[in-house]
Amino acid sequence: MSKDIISSRKQEVPLQDDSSNVFLQVMVCIAVFLFGVTLAGTLSVNAMIKTWNDSILGALTVQIMPVVENNKEAMTAEVLRQQSKAVEFLNEWPGVEKATPLSDKQLNRLLQPWLGDGVDVSDLPAPRLIDVKVKKGMHINFSKLAESLVKEIPLASVDDHKIWLDKLIKFADSLRLLAMVVLILVVAVTSGAIFYCTQTSLGLHHHVIEILHLMGAKDTYVAQQYARKACFLGFMGGIYGLILVIPTIFVISGLASQIEGGIVSETTLSMMDWLIIFSLPLFSCFISMITAYYTVKHTLIKFM
Amino acid sequence: MLFKTEGERILIKSVSDMDMIIGMQNVGIRYGQGAEILSDINMALKRGSFHFLTGKSGAGKTSLLSMMYLSQKASRGIVKIFGRNVTYTDRDSLALLRRKIGVVFQDFRLLDHMSAFDNVALPLRVCGMDEREVRKRVTELLQWVELDKKIKEPASTLSGGEKQRVAIARAVINRPEILLADEPTGNVDSDIAYKLMKLFVELNKLGTTVVIATHSEKLITDFPFPRLHLQNRGLKIYRPIIEDNTVKGGIHE
Repeated sequence: MSKDIISSRKQEVPLQDDSSNVFLQVMVCIAVFLFGVTLAGTLSVNAMIKTWNDSILGALTVQIMPVVENNKEAMTAEVLRQQSKAVEFLNEWPGVEKATPLSDKQLNRLLQPWLGDGVDVSDLPAPRLIDVKVKKGMHINFSKLAESLVKEIPLASVDDHKIWLDKLIKFADSLRLLAMVVLILVVAVTSGAIFYCTQTSLGLHHHVIEILHLMGAKDTYVAQQYARKACFLGFMGGIYGLILVIPTIFVISGLASQIEGGIVSETTLSMMDWLIIFSLPLFSCFISMITAYYTVKHTLIKFM
Repeated sequence: MLFKTEGERILIKSVSDMDMIIGMQNVGIRYGQGAEILSDINMALKRGSFHFLTGKSGAGKTSLLSMMYLSQKASRGIVKIFGRNVTYTDRDSLALLRRKIGVVFQDFRLLDHMSAFDNVALPLRVCGMDEREVRKRVTELLQWVELDKKIKEPASTLSGGEKQRVAIARAVINRPEILLADEPTGNVDSDIAYKLMKLFVELNKLGTTVVIATHSEKLITDFPFPRLHLQNRGLKIYRPIIEDNTVKGGIHE
């Protein structure tokens, strides 16, 4: 189809003098700029989510909190009872590969750096830990798991930074959706501007187009000339927009990297992301061309 | 029998569908809500015929021609060009029909920002002809109309007579089956006018159907072809009367 749109030789409609040419280029430039910045944001949020997801996936830890009670033996028994109940519960949870309670020895080793040698864990009101391995490729809803677990086993708690990350990912997902809406709006507004500029131009060159029709030109012949012009304007506007986008991305990621060790430290774009951003002028060129072509085809029906 | 033969407005009584290249039946034209400027036009022009179209200014000559070159649709009635009812023909097919019709407009309708060459090349280019062939044909024809020195000049810088010759060259470059001309000899001196008429006659001999709208009584007497005369919004046809080898082209009521 695109070959059909641009395969004509001579430019009879004097489109190069249209005053809307500059306007369209500025319009496309701004659109590509907005599009580029939003896209870079979305892509780096994607990268961030992926890193977070990787850290979330794989494993989590469940704690069984100690109950402070005078009867030490009863306390230990209750905690161990709840622990085995929790292990059973977790092993039945979909997506969990294996839940293993940490032995006293393992717990001792964990506490050793703080408490030194010769401490018996069973004497202390320290929480018991369960290591949960998640099946590969499975995504577990941590908030739901935590909720159900606590209902069953009141002493259990899922380490809460995972839940927090889970919520953050959800927030990022909706942010991504919002970005998509922005991208669609930018494309729609640009197409609208091209539509009205093309219609105005068709009115302006009415007499030339009528002569072309009288000589036996089909609507496609005229549409090709407009498509070619729009293709050029869309590409040039896209290039100008790109020239603005690239430094902007660097400035933003520079600012982000100043937040030391923060969650935005991973805002680097991959090679693929850059490729997408660099292909924006081709995208704007294509959108302009298609819009102009079909605007002409649609509008000429009302002509002679 | 294509048209009913009743009343004195019926012009050509029986032309078969095969022979007929331009046909009109009870055609009327009005612009907007105004009165009809042409009413009940009936005609059937034979393939390969040559007609003058006459009538006072404002009689509707240009409107009638513009229906023939498919720029104007009839307000009522049936118009058939190349045997096709143009009311029911889609846009792309109309474009293909127009490629077989050459038109010389009264106001030339050249593309002022383009050269004489590009103007003449236009009908060939819209057909997608190979550029080498376009170059060959256009150069040849511009030489013939003695404009080879002005080939690169923009149309806007040409004189009235030169523009007219460019317009005529553009009309015939495609070897059209129908040639329509609106006052084609109005802006040129009598020598060139005579030469142009010779060209039209030559094309007619090769099979082109020609209709020429003109005011020039001299042209009509010099070239004995039937004339379509517009009068009182209707159309009458007059055959040339030849007495003592001279043509009396006047209107005989």
